[in-house]
Amino acid sequence: MGEPVHTKSFQEKGWLKLDNAAKLFPAIMSDSLTTVFRITASLKEPVKYTAIRKAVEITAKRFPYFSVSLGSGLFWHFLEFNDQLPRIQAEEDIPCTAFAAGRKNEALYRVIIKKNRISVEFIHILTDGGGALEYLKSLLYTYLTLSGTRINSPGEILLPESPVSPDEMEDGYKKFFRRLPPPSKMVKAWHLPFRLNKKPALRIIRADIPAGDIRMIARKLNVSVTEYIVSVYLLSLHEIFISSQRNTGRKIRKVLRVEVPVNMRNKFLTRTMRNFSLYVLPEIDLRLGNYTFEEILRSVHHQLQISADVKQISRFLSSNVSYEKLLIIRILPLFIKKMAIAAIYRSLASKRWTGIVTNLGMVNLPAEMGDAVDSFEIIPPPPNSKVKVSCGLVSFNDKLRVCFCNITQSNDLERRIFKHLTDAGIHVKILNN
Amino acid sequence: MNICKNCGVELEEGLEKCPLCGRSAGNGEEHLYESASHPSDIILIHKKEKQKYLWELAGIITFSGIVVCTIVDLLLKKGLSWSLYSDVSFLAAWIILTLIMYTFRRSHIFVPGLIITILATLFSMDLFIPGPDWFFPVGFPLTIVVFFSAGIAVILYKKAHFRGFNIIGATFLLLAGTGILTELILDEFIHGSPDLQWSLIAAVSLLPFSLIFLFYHYRLKKGNRLDSFFHI
Repeated sequence: MGEPVHTKSFQEKGWLKLDNAAKLFPAIMSDSLTTVFRITASLKEPVKYTAIRKAVEITAKRFPYFSVSLGSGLFWHFLEFNDQLPRIQAEEDIPCTAFAAGRKNEALYRVIIKKNRISVEFIHILTDGGGALEYLKSLLYTYLTLSGTRINSPGEILLPESPVSPDEMEDGYKKFFRRLPPPSKMVKAWHLPFRLNKKPALRIIRADIPAGDIRMIARKLNVSVTEYIVSVYLLSLHEIFISSQRNTGRKIRKVLRVEVPVNMRNKFLTRTMRNFSLYVLPEIDLRLGNYTFEEILRSVHHQLQISADVKQISRFLSSNVSYEKLLIIRILPLFIKKMAIAAIYRSLASKRWTGIVTNLGMVNLPAEMGDAVDSFEIIPPPPNSKVKVSCGLVSFNDKLRVCFCNITQSNDLERRIFKHLTDAGIHVKILNN
Repeated sequence: MNICKNCGVELEEGLEKCPLCGRSAGNGEEHLYESASHPSDIILIHKKEKQKYLWELAGIITFSGIVVCTIVDLLLKKGLSWSLYSDVSFLAAWIILTLIMYTFRRSHIFVPGLIITILATLFSMDLFIPGPDWFFPVGFPLTIVVFFSAGIAVILYKKAHFRGFNIIGATFLLLAGTGILTELILDEFIHGSPDLQWSLIAAVSLLPFSLIFLFYHYRLKKGNRLDSFFHI
């Protein structure tokens, strides 16, 4: 396999500015709020250590913009090229543990191996789910090739010998920024009343759902799978809200809002492998009364259709990038910026939504690779202490893997969601962790 | 096929132990793997590295301070005078920092180390300060009294099943006792005989509060836990 062509500018410069989304994470990340997510491919056979080690070495050269560590400047953090390979490590009970991001020459992603599972964990500073999935597909391609699988038509997978395009490391937020009126202000959302777990707090519940079944039901209802699951999520939150009001006797009505990340690569023409996602926030306003499932479904469908529109979502992009362009913000020393960002996140941003549903969509692989892979899985970053539970979805072949990250002592939300799905005739298989 | 019994990965022939977990490939016998084999290991390594950097920086500041003070004293006074106090203080601060950073969780090293450092510092000061010797009649017993009281407070806190207002009440009693012992030692040094005044006033003022706290905790059984009562 040939050596990839590194872009001169990146090698000469030796560092990259953080993209707009990444600027938030160094200020808020901690041992519990790690901002680390995991994507896993489960193979049909045990992983061969020697082949995966070689594949990691080759793939790292194809993604030079991931071979960086986090540096601190006077005004901003930056990504410093370090030519380090990611660590290949054994799986632990708790996924998505923190990176030693401030450590010199420490890679900000790692490869985790267990039995037949190959996982990649990325700190969100580096990329989002879309970028990480492209890396994992490329790693799988190289691994399977080294293991003797002949792949005739790799399709859109980034091959080790293909040249590295400068477009892959562009800042999509800046590229597509234009000044637009800001989105309307949001009231704080209601939050789950569950008690938090003691450290280590994170619990994972995984389930497999036949993708065909849920797709058919969603199609019958004229909605997408994401819209259907978000609606079930909101319905379950609604039930927990009513039950908690009954228990506490409180009558204050609030808004239930779910964050749904959107891959902006599908909206704008870019090949960037760095962060380029925003989010839409479907909500039901309980101040207006209670909702039936049909009402929630209809509302979520229309909200997602409208807010995921390029023009609407560009307002969030414009609003986020505008802040970092302000001179007064740019000249603030880094430590003050970090304190301000952390304070704003704690008091406002973390309270905007009740839950998170991130859908990586359907993973497409060439037939020869697909034969060797059993399933994919995404574990979203551990939720903060307000949101408490987040949900990751990804489908491959006929398997939709649902993965809940929960830092509370209750699994009431997961239980209700699965109950609604089984009531709708969808087979749910809870997996042994 | 050679499979690691712990990680479940396939190991190529020739690999005697799993590079991920360090266990022997054949029989599962455990060998400690030297480098970080799990993600959370790196955080621990990073924390130790940061601690080491901080300790090295503190060492540089301490010894620079000692050198600067000594040279300035030598240049201005043509001998060692005031710099002896600052040098001893710098050194004591650095030793205490080292003890806190590396032995804090090992109380059998930390506590004796801290007592010896403080006693040595006071003894050195006594040697440098002209006038009557005060270390053995005052410095030594006062240090022992303070550590003895603090030790009792820590033991009470650790042994208590319920950490509520009983801890505050007991702390007040200990403060009263420490005050009385302090005045006894000072009186013995200054006047040659005990003449309790301020410590008795402090003790009788603290006693009712202490009794109220203990009564509230043990008699009324309404004692709140300190962490829940004072949480912000």
